[in-house]
Amino acid sequence: MMDRHFLVAVTSDEVLKLKVKNVNFLFPIEDFSVGFTNTYTLEDIKIPNSYLYINRILDTKGIEALKKLVEEIKENVKGICFTDLGVLNVVKESHKNLELIYMQSHNTTNVSSINYYLEYVDSVYISTDLTKEEMLNILENAYKPLVVPYFTLMDTMYSRRTLLKNYQNHFDLEEKREEDLIELGTKKRFLAIENDYGTVFYAKKFIDYREIEHPNILYSFINPMHLSLEEIEKIMKNETIDVDKDTGFLHQETYYRLKEEER
Amino acid sequence: MKHVELLAPAGDMEKLKMAYLYGADAVYCAGKRFGLRANANNFTMEELEMAAEFAHQRKKKLYVTVNILFHEKEVNGLEDYLKELDRIGIDAIIASDILVMKRAKELNLKLEVHVSTQASILNSEAALFYKSLGATRLVLAREASLEDIKDIKEKTNLELECFIHGAMCTSFSGRCIMSNYCTLRDANRGGCAQICRWTFQAGSNPEIFSMTPKDLNLIEYIKELINIGVNSFKVEGRMRGIYYIATVIQVYRKIIDKIEENNLSSGEIKYYLDILNRCANRDSTPQFVNGLPTEKEQYFLGRQELSNQDFLGLVLDYDEKTHIATLEHRNYFKKGDIVEFFGPNLEATTYQVGEIYDEEGNSLELSNHPKMIIKLKVDVKLQKYDMMRIKVFDKKDYL
Repeated sequence: MMDRHFLVAVTSDEVLKLKVKNVNFLFPIEDFSVGFTNTYTLEDIKIPNSYLYINRILDTKGIEALKKLVEEIKENVKGICFTDLGVLNVVKESHKNLELIYMQSHNTTNVSSINYYLEYVDSVYISTDLTKEEMLNILENAYKPLVVPYFTLMDTMYSRRTLLKNYQNHFDLEEKREEDLIELGTKKRFLAIENDYGTVFYAKKFIDYREIEHPNILYSFINPMHLSLEEIEKIMKNETIDVDKDTGFLHQETYYRLKEEER
Repeated sequence: MKHVELLAPAGDMEKLKMAYLYGADAVYCAGKRFGLRANANNFTMEELEMAAEFAHQRKKKLYVTVNILFHEKEVNGLEDYLKELDRIGIDAIIASDILVMKRAKELNLKLEVHVSTQASILNSEAALFYKSLGATRLVLAREASLEDIKDIKEKTNLELECFIHGAMCTSFSGRCIMSNYCTLRDANRGGCAQICRWTFQAGSNPEIFSMTPKDLNLIEYIKELINIGVNSFKVEGRMRGIYYIATVIQVYRKIIDKIEENNLSSGEIKYYLDILNRCANRDSTPQFVNGLPTEKEQYFLGRQELSNQDFLGLVLDYDEKTHIATLEHRNYFKKGDIVEFFGPNLEATTYQVGEIYDEEGNSLELSNHPKMIIKLKVDVKLQKYDMMRIKVFDKKDYL
């Protein structure tokens, strides 16, 4: 079994009690993150070698606010994992020595694109909707070490709309910013988490990609939303855990041309 | 006032010609590969070449979408495809994968690279990143506000293209794999199953709902967007039919022209809005341009999408001596119906259906066979590609 280094999203304060070696924490940042019920300010972050998670698509106000945030970053922050490519220029112009990891879950689907992104950043997160063969090929041919999904909630949609709030207003329901949903045709379940910057739909099942092993892995990513400390530690030790999970797209390829009868 | 481009969608050659004839300055479409409407008819390379020739003869432009996110097995064919598009004179490609932008630059192609709305650009710093890759135009995210558009224009001076009309994704475009997850159909390679429009249930609540957004419609913001410096107004709908394309493009052509001539009245805006909403058969709203959409900008339940029956016939020919128009039938009509003709060079003109004849000259009481050739005596001069539709709105009621 390979020696892994983990990047763990801090989905609750409990996560910070992890006693496992080789962990870097990824803090969702207040006003700059979506898909988390718990977010942090720079002042909250005390642990060295932490990463900031800026996964919002930033509008004009957002990018201006980011410039101020970046100026205030202290030495304990090792880098930024980000989705919006506007972050690149902002960090470059700040002259801060920050590691940059491009972490857009859906558009890093081939080696060439990833190698192009690597001209600008230190690492890239590989898209979750790839087969094992595709992922291993990318790891083999990328010219810098990459971040891979390891055992994580998989985001399947990011909307700028406040979909939960809209739904609750429409049906006159109590406001909740986190909700379990089921798509009735396919019976697929989702966890929706919302804040003022939008709604993220996660697949309710964790994706278990622990079988992806390669020397070109920088970090193995975990979004442990609602998992206990014990469960997270078991995951890191590659032990069996009893949570709803599957191997996602690793062994089933997506397609896009429909058969005649499907049209 | 600088002329702003009206950009129309086309899923096949007939729609493309209609789009240009009804007033589009440019058309975007896809080839047989690498476009996000993988299951539309799309264009062969030969058809694209003909389309480019058709456009350029009219001093218009043709853009081709190369906007999938590539998996490894698609990458090999990309270079040859880009070179071919360049050779046949395509004016620009619309791309979202950094691979396409970089390759186009490395190959030193003549064609321009426009960044697709799939890139979700909402701020000037992201825009500058794409500028550094060689992009000459950005198709902004449909979530952009007026403030975002203005700021990006001022700080980048790039050409900006904004969607002004048509269907919306629930998600930021390109930031969704619901279709992949639920059906294995890859949304980012053109197979989107539109899961967000399917039915959901939340928690223990019994309500069943969808998240279908109403359509986008920026008719009331066109002037403001022109003043900000938007260069191209884009209409969504490569899967739509010729009637939709003709109607929507003609409406926006008239609106843009009237704004440029400074004589658009609020009554006309209301008239055109009614035509657009009826044509799409669903409500439309400004969505994000002036604030965050609420529950009022979505459909939740019980909405039936009935097909629009307004399009009655397509004019194939008109004999100026006999005043006999030859039409291809599209939807039911009968003698005595009040309808109207409209066309690339024809304002909506009321007509009461008189004698109807089939191709052999037999008199008919009604017309109800799809694609049947019929003849009508029409005094107003018609042209090939004019259309006949049900008359619902009368412009003079709005003025």
